[in-house]
Amino acid sequence: MTDITPGLLMIIASGFVPYLPHHLRQIFILIAIAFSSVSLTAGAGMHWTINILGQELILHNADNLTLPFGVVFHLAAALNVVYGWHERRPVEHTAGLAYAGAAIAAVHAGDLITLFIWWEATAITSVFLILARGTERANNAAMRYLLVQVASGVLLLAGACLYWREAGSLSFDIMELGSLGTWLIFVAFGIKAAFPFLNGWLQDGYPEATIIGTVMLSSFTTKLAIYAFARGFAGTEYLVWIGAAMTAFPVFFAVIENDLRRVLAYSLNNQLGFMIVAIGIGTELAINGAVAHAFAHIIYKALLFMSMGAVMYRVGTANATELGGLYKSMPLTMIFCIVGAMSISAFPMFSGFTAKAVIMKAVGYEGLIYVYLILLAASAGVLHHSGIKIPYFTFFSHDSGLRPKEAPMNMLIAMAIASVFCIGIGVMPTTFYQILPYNLDYQPYDASHIVGQFQLVIFAMLAFTFLMRFGFYPPEIASTVLNSDWLYRKFAPFIGKPILTVLNKIAEGANTVLISFAIQIMARILYIFKHPVMGPVTPGPAAIALLTLLMSVLFLVNIL
Amino acid sequence: MSNLNQHLRKMGNYASLFLVFLGILLIISEFFVHRHGEIELEDLPIFPVIYGFSASIFIVVVGIVLRRILMRKEDYYD
Repeated sequence: MTDITPGLLMIIASGFVPYLPHHLRQIFILIAIAFSSVSLTAGAGMHWTINILGQELILHNADNLTLPFGVVFHLAAALNVVYGWHERRPVEHTAGLAYAGAAIAAVHAGDLITLFIWWEATAITSVFLILARGTERANNAAMRYLLVQVASGVLLLAGACLYWREAGSLSFDIMELGSLGTWLIFVAFGIKAAFPFLNGWLQDGYPEATIIGTVMLSSFTTKLAIYAFARGFAGTEYLVWIGAAMTAFPVFFAVIENDLRRVLAYSLNNQLGFMIVAIGIGTELAINGAVAHAFAHIIYKALLFMSMGAVMYRVGTANATELGGLYKSMPLTMIFCIVGAMSISAFPMFSGFTAKAVIMKAVGYEGLIYVYLILLAASAGVLHHSGIKIPYFTFFSHDSGLRPKEAPMNMLIAMAIASVFCIGIGVMPTTFYQILPYNLDYQPYDASHIVGQFQLVIFAMLAFTFLMRFGFYPPEIASTVLNSDWLYRKFAPFIGKPILTVLNKIAEGANTVLISFAIQIMARILYIFKHPVMGPVTPGPAAIALLTLLMSVLFLVNIL
Repeated sequence: MSNLNQHLRKMGNYASLFLVFLGILLIISEFFVHRHGEIELEDLPIFPVIYGFSASIFIVVVGIVLRRILMRKEDYYD
C-alpha cells in the first residue's frame, strides 16, 4: 500500500467525485486524501519503478526533501475540502482533488519523464478552477493560463530529452546549469515559479479563479516549482539574484493594485523570491530555510486567500475600492485574516517569523549583504501590502455600507485550522524544524532577534500610518496595472498583427499565382485528352505537345 | 458621518497612538538589549527602525511613480 505514489489515489478518486451527493462527496475526498497520505510513511527510497521502452520510470521516490512537501500538500488539500464544503457543484472539488494529487505525485517523481507527466497534469486539472468561474473574462484568463502552463511542460519535456542525450540519464536529481537541456528545464521550472517577466500568468489567472479555486491554486503549482528547483538546481547562483528580484518587484505592484486577491498574488510572487534565493545559496541551512518557508507560506497564504474569499463570497467583490468597515460584520474572518497577515509579515510568534529567519540567517552567513538588504526591504514591503493593506482596506478604512453575514461555518473552521498552524509553527519552531530535510540546530527566539524584528515591522507600520495620516498613501483606484502578461496580451498582438497581415497578403498572392498555373496545366491536359493522337497522319498540336513532353523527360533522364 | 466611520476614526487614532508608544518602547529597548543582526550593518543602533521606516516610504513612493506609468483603465484588456 505505501509503495503507491502519494497523490495517485487522489487522482483516481477524483473520477468518482462528480457522481457522489454533496456531503458524502466531501467525506469521500477527505478519506481519499487520508489514504493517499499513508504512502508518506514509506520512508526514504525508491518504492515503485516501472520499465517502459527500456527506460526505468521512478513513480515513487521519497527522501527528506519530498516529505515536507508531501505533508504540507496533503494538509493544504484537506483544508481546501473543508473550506469549500458549502459548494454543491462538483467541478471544483473534482479538479481540486486531481490537481492536488498531481502535484503530490510530481513531488515524488524520481525521473524527468514522470515529473513531466504530473507537471502537465497539474496544468490541465487546475485550469478548471479558473474555468469554473464561468465568466468570459475567466475563460480568457484560463486559456492564457493553460497556454503558459503547457508551454512550461513542453520546455520541460524538450529539456528532459536533451538532458537524456547529454547525461545519459533521466534521473531527476541535482543538475548543473550549462547545456541547452538543463537551461530548458530551468526555464520550465522558472515559468511555474513565476520568475520576473514569466510571472504574468500568476497575477492574471489566480484572481480570476473561483473563490475556492484561488485558494487551491495558491497552494500547489508554484510550490511544486520550488520543490523542483530545490531538487534540481540547488546552489545555482543565478537563482540568488533572480530570487532577490522576485522579492522586490511585486511589492511595488501590490501597493497600487486594487483587487485584493491580485495583491495577494503579487505577495505570493514576492514570497517565492525568498525561497528561490535560499535555493540559489544551496547550503543545508538555506535549503532548510526554503523548505520551511514553503511549508509555512502554503498555510498562511491559503489563510489569506481564504479570508478574502470569504469576504468575496459574502459581498461579491474583493476590490479595495468597494470594501471597508467589515470588522463588525465579519469579526472572525477579520481575526483569521490578521493571523495570516501577521504570519506573512513575520511577526514573532507567527509562522513567517520562524521560517523566514532561517533564510535570513543563511543569506547573512554567506555574506550576501546586498541580497540581505533587498530581502529586508522586501519584508517591510510584504508587511505593507499583505500585512496592512489587505486587512485595513477590507475590515477598517471607511464604512463601505456593506453589512454582510459572517463567513459560512465551514470556511471559518478551515480558517481556524490554518490559523492554529500559523501560530503553532510560530511558537514551536523546534518541533517544526524537525520536518525539514537537514538537521537544524537554530533557535529564532532570542531577545536580539525579537527586538530587531519588532523594530522592523512596527516602524514599517508607522510609515504606513504616517503616509495615511498625511494623505501621501496612494488612494485605491479601480484600474488595471500592467504586468508582464501585457507582453502577450497587448504587445505581441500589436507587433504580430501587421506582420501576419503582410504574410497573409503574400500567401494570398502566391495562392492566386499557383491556382492560375494549375488552371493552365489542367487546360493543357484536357486539350490533350480531347485531341488524342490518331494514326499515321501529320501530327496535330496534341501529338506535338505529347512528343515534346516525352522528349523532355528523356532529355532530363539523360542528363541526370 | 456614519456611526461606523466615527468608530473607525477613533480606532485609527488609538491604533496610531499605540503604534507610536510601541515604537518609543522599541527604541528605548535598544539600551537594554544587545541587538545584533546577521550582517554587520544591522548591528548599527536602531538600524531596523530606520530601515523598516525608510524602506516602506521608498516602496510607496516607487509605487506612486509606477502607477503613473503602468496604470490603465479597468477595462483596458476587455
